[in-house]
Amino acid sequence: MDYTLDLGAVTRNMGPLMDGLWVTLQLTLAANAIGVIAGFALALLTTSKLAVLRLPAMLFVEFFRCTPAIVQIVWFFYCVPMIFNVFWGPVFMGIVALGLNLTAFNAEAYRASIQAVPREHLDAGIALGLSPTQRVLNIVLPQALRNSVPVLLTNGIGIFQQSALVAIVGVADLMYQGKTLATATYRPIETFTVVALIYLAISYPVGQFVNWLERRQSYS
Amino acid sequence: MADMRDGSALVEIRDLHKSYGPNIQVLKGLNIQMMPGERVVVIGPSGGGKSTLLRVVMGLEQIQGGSVRFGGKPYISAKGDKTVIDTELRKQIGMVFQHYTLFPHLSIMENLILAPRKVHGESRASARERGQKILERFGLGAKADAYPSQLSGGQKQRVAIARALMLDPKLMLFDEVTSALDPELVAEVEAVILQLAESGMPMMMVTHDMWFARNVASRVIFCAGGVVVEDGPPEQVLGDPREERTREFINRVFHIKA
Amino acid sequence: MGMTLDFSILLLFTDALALGLWTTLRLTLLCIVLGTTLGFVIGLLRSSGNAVVRGLLGLYVELFRGTPVLIQLFWIFFCLPLILGVEFSNFVSATIALTLYMGAITSETFRASLRSVGREQMDACVALGLPRRAQIVNVILPQAVLRAVPTLLSNAVSLFKESALVSAVGMADLMFIGQNISNNTARPVEVLTVVAAIYFVIAFPLTRAVTVVEQKLLRKFSA
Ligand SMILES: Nc1ncnc2c1ncn2[C@@H]1O[C@H](COP(=O)(O)OP(=O)(O)OP(=O)(O)O)[C@@H](O)[C@H]1O
Ligand SMILES: [Mg+2]
Repeated sequence: MDYTLDLGAVTRNMGPLMDGLWVTLQLTLAANAIGVIAGFALALLTTSKLAVLRLPAMLFVEFFRCTPAIVQIVWFFYCVPMIFNVFWGPVFMGIVALGLNLTAFNAEAYRASIQAVPREHLDAGIALGLSPTQRVLNIVLPQALRNSVPVLLTNGIGIFQQSALVAIVGVADLMYQGKTLATATYRPIETFTVVALIYLAISYPVGQFVNWLERRQSYS
Repeated sequence: MADMRDGSALVEIRDLHKSYGPNIQVLKGLNIQMMPGERVVVIGPSGGGKSTLLRVVMGLEQIQGGSVRFGGKPYISAKGDKTVIDTELRKQIGMVFQHYTLFPHLSIMENLILAPRKVHGESRASARERGQKILERFGLGAKADAYPSQLSGGQKQRVAIARALMLDPKLMLFDEVTSALDPELVAEVEAVILQLAESGMPMMMVTHDMWFARNVASRVIFCAGGVVVEDGPPEQVLGDPREERTREFINRVFHIKA
Repeated sequence: MGMTLDFSILLLFTDALALGLWTTLRLTLLCIVLGTTLGFVIGLLRSSGNAVVRGLLGLYVELFRGTPVLIQLFWIFFCLPLILGVEFSNFVSATIALTLYMGAITSETFRASLRSVGREQMDACVALGLPRRAQIVNVILPQAVLRAVPTLLSNAVSLFKESALVSAVGMADLMFIGQNISNNTARPVEVLTVVAAIYFVIAFPLTRAVTVVEQKLLRKFSA
């Protein structure tokens, strides 16, 4: 190849990349906060006996699970301001869009672990004279939460990676800064490689932690 | 006692040592001699190493010391930290496990004929014919094309026995083959094993069903703490044990159940 | 909201959308086939193979699983031609990128399903005296592949969705054409909603199928 590597082009411009990383982390953390909390509420709705609660909740989940995240984000950035006449800052828009997506995926995770709580445990709760609320709070909730932690974390890293999509709608995250830098310096190889490695440096340890957690849980 | 008949023994286990990892010593110098035609039932406390013993004889485990001879030939021995297993001799031994272990992706007939075809190079047609005969003998003639998931536990376990018999083993090992079954299914599996016993098949088995043990065994061995504690005819070991530990165990398990 | 929706505008663009969808489907199917094959080979090599091979393949898998697909696309589109000194068409670049991505995720699927074939199955093989080749070809691999099917299906659905990213590197797939129409007509709500609906109509039945297949297999393997 007639292209000589020059990492200096990237190292001299770490400032913008770090600013971008900071935005990416904000997006990730805030979206996770939304997803972990709203996801649980949504999971309860999808397991509700009332169809008026269950069906819309399920539709919400399926919509986010069955369409590309990029379509969701582009839709959100173009359509929400038009439909609702609201104009939020781009980072905030990104947080809400990613947060809604994660909410749907986490709801699925919670639902699976709620359903995995063995029937016998609920029967035991009835036999012990616990009220329905007590059964949910003391038997279902603790087990469901514990069982869903690995999937929640996996989804959490997933949204960290998906957050790169907001670069397409102009949010100045790590991906966006990388793209800008690559164009400005004519150094795509160095820039994109470094940006990819930054993403990897964060996802990989979390992924390993999840593996460790899953192995530990499957033994107990 | 049996030492004078050296060489004619079917299975001869000498000073067998087996541990899992550095800390769990399971078998600590175990000796058993089994004569052709004998039906040995191994009893003993849970975790005492009964399954481990059968798995060693099946050639499924590494051992740390001692040896096993089969049909008068060296079969398994510990050489340094390696275990040498004669895989040709291993083919003459069949085993049925507690949890069926049928191949779920193969039909019953395919489960039966896989090994004869791959091990002995038997033709499909001939293996099928023998398979059908064995299935019929075990009351499973109509199940040849079913899949394991369509059978009851008792049926699955009978298929597992049939599968092992397809290779004409000279010794059968049964490890608690009825303990995962619903009570009403136990009898049909035990009947098949009794039928085998009557036909003279040598067997070594672990069971917690003392009624069955008494019926099928020609000899009972009580294993505890990784060694043979008592060894003799069923009436004696189960009815009037000499060793205090055997007596205690029998009183706790057997008489309550019987 | 003070705006009226007019979905009839989309009727003018059915041909363009169909063309985009065709590109999306062609790309997805091709990468599913290539990527799954790659994943199978890598899964096997990572489960056996020698330490160096295992290490290198592990690096590849973690690289593609640990970074955004978008940056993988950028890398293949903009960096690979510079390194190799050859130009690829958009379709070829997209195929390379998504195949490598699919290979990485399906190799993990195959590896997990290989591991999930229980130790008792191996014991049964040994007790039956099966030769090593028969153990692998007749017992372990068929079960592993069957067990992998539900996850492979959802990997395929994921790939279908991820394929929309190629719009960001200028490939005229469904998403790209949708965005173009949306910009030209200034009717993003109608156009993008319909685009989302098209993706949904394809992905939803497939995710249902995953559940059905999963339950069928579960019943089979409860033996
Ligand atoms: N694969 C293994 N790894 C580590 N320890 C093991 C393993 N298999 C068995 N053990 C341990 O070895 C000991 C003997 O186990 P074994 O299964 O042979 O006992 P057992 O007499 O068959 O008991 P049970 O009547 O409960 O079946 C137990 O303490 C068990 O925990
Ligand atoms: Mg046992």
